[in-house]
Amino acid sequence: MNKLGYLGELEQMVLIAVLRLEPDAYSVAVRTEIEARTGRRLARGAVFVTLDRMVKKGYLSSCLGEPTPERGGRAKRFFSITPQGKLALRASREAFAKLWSGFETALDER
Amino acid sequence: MAESLLRKLIPDDHACEDVLGELAEEFGRASGWYSSLRLRIRYWMAAFSIAAWYALERCRQARPAVLPDSIQGTNGMNNLRADLRLALRSVRRAPIPTLAIVVTLGLGIGANAAIFSVVNGVLLKPLPFQDPQQLVSVGHAAPGVGFRRLANTASTYLTYRDSGRAFEDIGVWSSAQVSVTGQARARRVTALYFSDAVLPLLRVRPALGRGFASSDAAPGAPETLILAHSFWQRHLGGDPDVVGRFLRMEGQRMEVIGVLPERFRFLDFEPAVILPLRVSPPGEEARPSFDYNALARLRPGVTLEDANRDLARMIPLVSERFPSFGRISLEEYRMAPSVLPLKDEIVGSVGRVLWLLLATVGLVLLIACANAANLFLIRIDSRRREIAVRKALGASKARVVRHFLVESVTLGLLGGVVGLGLAFWGVRLLIAMAPANLPRLGEVGIDSAVGFFTLGVSLLCGALFGILPVMLSGSEQLSSPLKEAGRGSSPGRKRHRFRHSLAALQVSIALALLIASGLMIRTFYLLGEVDPGFQRPEQVLTFRLSIPRAEVEDHMQAARLHQSILERLKAIPGVVEAGAASSITMEGRSNRNFVFAEGDSRPGSQTSPLRSYKAVAGDYFGAMGIPLLAGRTLTWDDILRKAAVGVVTESLAREHWGDPHQALGKRIRHDPSDPWREIVGVVGDVRDRGLREGVSGIAYWPMAVEDFLGFDLWVRRALTYVVRTERVDAVGLLPEVRDAIWSLNPNLPLAQVRTLDAVVARTLAPTAFALVMLSIAAALGVALGMVGLYGVISSIFAQRTPEIGVRMALGASPGDIGRMVLKQGGGVALVGIAGGLAAALALTGFMSSLLHGVARSDPLTYAAATLLVAVVCLLASVHPARRASRVDPIQSLRWG
Repeated sequence: MNKLGYLGELEQMVLIAVLRLEPDAYSVAVRTEIEARTGRRLARGAVFVTLDRMVKKGYLSSCLGEPTPERGGRAKRFFSITPQGKLALRASREAFAKLWSGFETALDER
Repeated sequence: MAESLLRKLIPDDHACEDVLGELAEEFGRASGWYSSLRLRIRYWMAAFSIAAWYALERCRQARPAVLPDSIQGTNGMNNLRADLRLALRSVRRAPIPTLAIVVTLGLGIGANAAIFSVVNGVLLKPLPFQDPQQLVSVGHAAPGVGFRRLANTASTYLTYRDSGRAFEDIGVWSSAQVSVTGQARARRVTALYFSDAVLPLLRVRPALGRGFASSDAAPGAPETLILAHSFWQRHLGGDPDVVGRFLRMEGQRMEVIGVLPERFRFLDFEPAVILPLRVSPPGEEARPSFDYNALARLRPGVTLEDANRDLARMIPLVSERFPSFGRISLEEYRMAPSVLPLKDEIVGSVGRVLWLLLATVGLVLLIACANAANLFLIRIDSRRREIAVRKALGASKARVVRHFLVESVTLGLLGGVVGLGLAFWGVRLLIAMAPANLPRLGEVGIDSAVGFFTLGVSLLCGALFGILPVMLSGSEQLSSPLKEAGRGSSPGRKRHRFRHSLAALQVSIALALLIASGLMIRTFYLLGEVDPGFQRPEQVLTFRLSIPRAEVEDHMQAARLHQSILERLKAIPGVVEAGAASSITMEGRSNRNFVFAEGDSRPGSQTSPLRSYKAVAGDYFGAMGIPLLAGRTLTWDDILRKAAVGVVTESLAREHWGDPHQALGKRIRHDPSDPWREIVGVVGDVRDRGLREGVSGIAYWPMAVEDFLGFDLWVRRALTYVVRTERVDAVGLLPEVRDAIWSLNPNLPLAQVRTLDAVVARTLAPTAFALVMLSIAAALGVALGMVGLYGVISSIFAQRTPEIGVRMALGASPGDIGRMVLKQGGGVALVGIAGGLAAALALTGFMSSLLHGVARSDPLTYAAATLLVAVVCLLASVHPARRASRVDPIQSLRWG
């Protein structure tokens, strides 16, 4: 369990998306992945800021790819999840699992 | 700008690259059917949204540090944040008044930002050289013979170079158009002639090869040149081994010794090539001619005054060293040094116009602020109860004042955002409209300086339009809140007076602007009436054509080629006349020299002012439509015989002999060492220096003359052709003209093809520019002023409805009430008009140099503008008056 506390919702989503997309996880892909799976529109800035925060906390690591012409000669930044990141994600999931345990059917539609 | 904002907010370089890359990916792709502008707006919005996220993230991270303070609730930052939240909330709650204030301010701020971006680009940005403040232009003033600025002769330059103490070094330069041949197509390009010191002075090192050394300028040295980066790229394919190659320039083989760095610009020139300028010491017989522009770099610590003193010390030395300079009487000329910052050389008189425009739009902004203040006051009034409650709950007066200031500054900033958007368009419009000879146009644009200016103006506006009403309310209303907040009471007299003066201020400024633009309109109209001296310029096609020596070696043969070309041109169907001259009217490239008349012993005739002289060929006067007043014009026979004859203009003839006919048979010359030449004809005057300038005497010579100004044979190879035809606009004309020329020699490029009309329009361009800008400012001012007056009158009467109800209940007729409102509006208008007339007298003092033929206190303009403003004021008061007269007393007393 991380001493800074649990992950936020968007933080979890971003980490999971990176996990799913590795090794091709970059900002646009992360955003479209989350949008496609959750049906929610995300602001570009929110994704960037969250990705950066996750890097700063050590949950994600990033490296620059090759510059491509369609990005105006700028490089993509690829993200991968760190062991710490996996740990935090697991802790969050376990916390939820504990909270939900026994109530999994409570929200089922009648 | 979006990029630099992102760079500032995103601390990590990699992250920033990533963000910019994503934006490029997203918006680079969609370029197919989106117009580029929509794309750019979307790009900006996306960039700003990302920037906002990063800004929020920063606040988030910083929050734990301020948390303990903010818990206490008395912390200043926290209060400010609360104020800001309140301000945003009240903005949201009242969108229409907010929009009115924001749009009003946006118009004013936008106009200011747009004009400022021009002022910044043209006047404020330093020249793109190292330590530009040390660079000066070295010249002279000679008020004795009517010259504000004289350049240098070879002798002054050499003296200053060798004996100067103030300069690190001094160099000379000139510009010309040269032909480049030997490639697929002959071309005319801009060339600068630099002495060897110029590039080192500018601290410019060639990107390839070397600069000029003194050996390049030595007599008999091999011909060398330096290429501009763009010419090298475009026409030589960026050949890396270009140094050492040869080009044919003006028919001569010249070796490329270097390539300039990219983006090299010198003053307003973007040269294609730089050629060495050779200055040889003048012989004893030479007449001093001020042909050389000099620039110098001041030694560190030397001021302009020091440099001028140094020059003053050296002027007498010049004639000691070069006897030929002694022909100039320094006393007669009242020769004085004139060392100026190099930037002045390029900016010239434009500065005045631009500052005037900035002042004008500043006035528009003042109107906008007054408007916003009024609207804001109405807003404060409508929230009197809220203020009263807040005060009753213990808010200090300062706290309430601050709350409103935060709100007004927020509105100001919103106005600034709107203004910046408008400026973005405005600058494009300005650049498209600006006269071609507005210098440094390439440097005009929205950059960080303009951004800061806009930010500053927005804050200032916000504070200004906020503080006045707040102070007023602060002194009067906030002190007795609940009492005044009661139902039915009218706000105090003082506030009415304040509103009246705001409205009067707007009317004044609008009137002053209207008068200023009216004077410009009159000027433009009067300039249109000025007789340029030629007829129907819209039917005259002009172009420049030069016969280089490489094509035709012999001078007289070149003259005959010009003759053949003119004959071919005249044979084109529809061409009425064709002629050519070394420079045509208003083209701005006249040569000038003294004119001495034989037997003229009038005092001062030995230092007569300089006169233009031109070489002409073909039927130049016929093609231009310049009337022949006496004698005959010059013929091909004169040219081919190299006859010593000439033609003068009417004013020159009158000045010397009193009458055009008296001038025939008299003889003149430019230089005592020349032979006398007989005047065979007198033609009408032309405004050679533009419509605004008076006529001055001109001497016309045949295109080929002997013994002329020290030349054995003087033939003009470069001539401006004038072709009179009714087919000027016909599509086929120009190809026919080209074919006619190229059928004789395919290597002769045409340059500067335009109608004579366009030449005239170019001289009018600065006036037209100022006219359009002032008119826009005036229209904006009048519109805003009218809205302001309307707003004030109607809101005052809306508040006075209960009082009007009482009056009507006591027997006042609707007519009485209407008259009362009109009287009040009229009073405001009268005060405003009186102030406006006074302001106009002050404002127009700055624009006398722009006016022509109309006094700055022209009564007609003043009367017309006053009448217009009076009518507008009346219109603005009629509607409130009508509404007031329809007030139903019962309703107003019950609900007012």
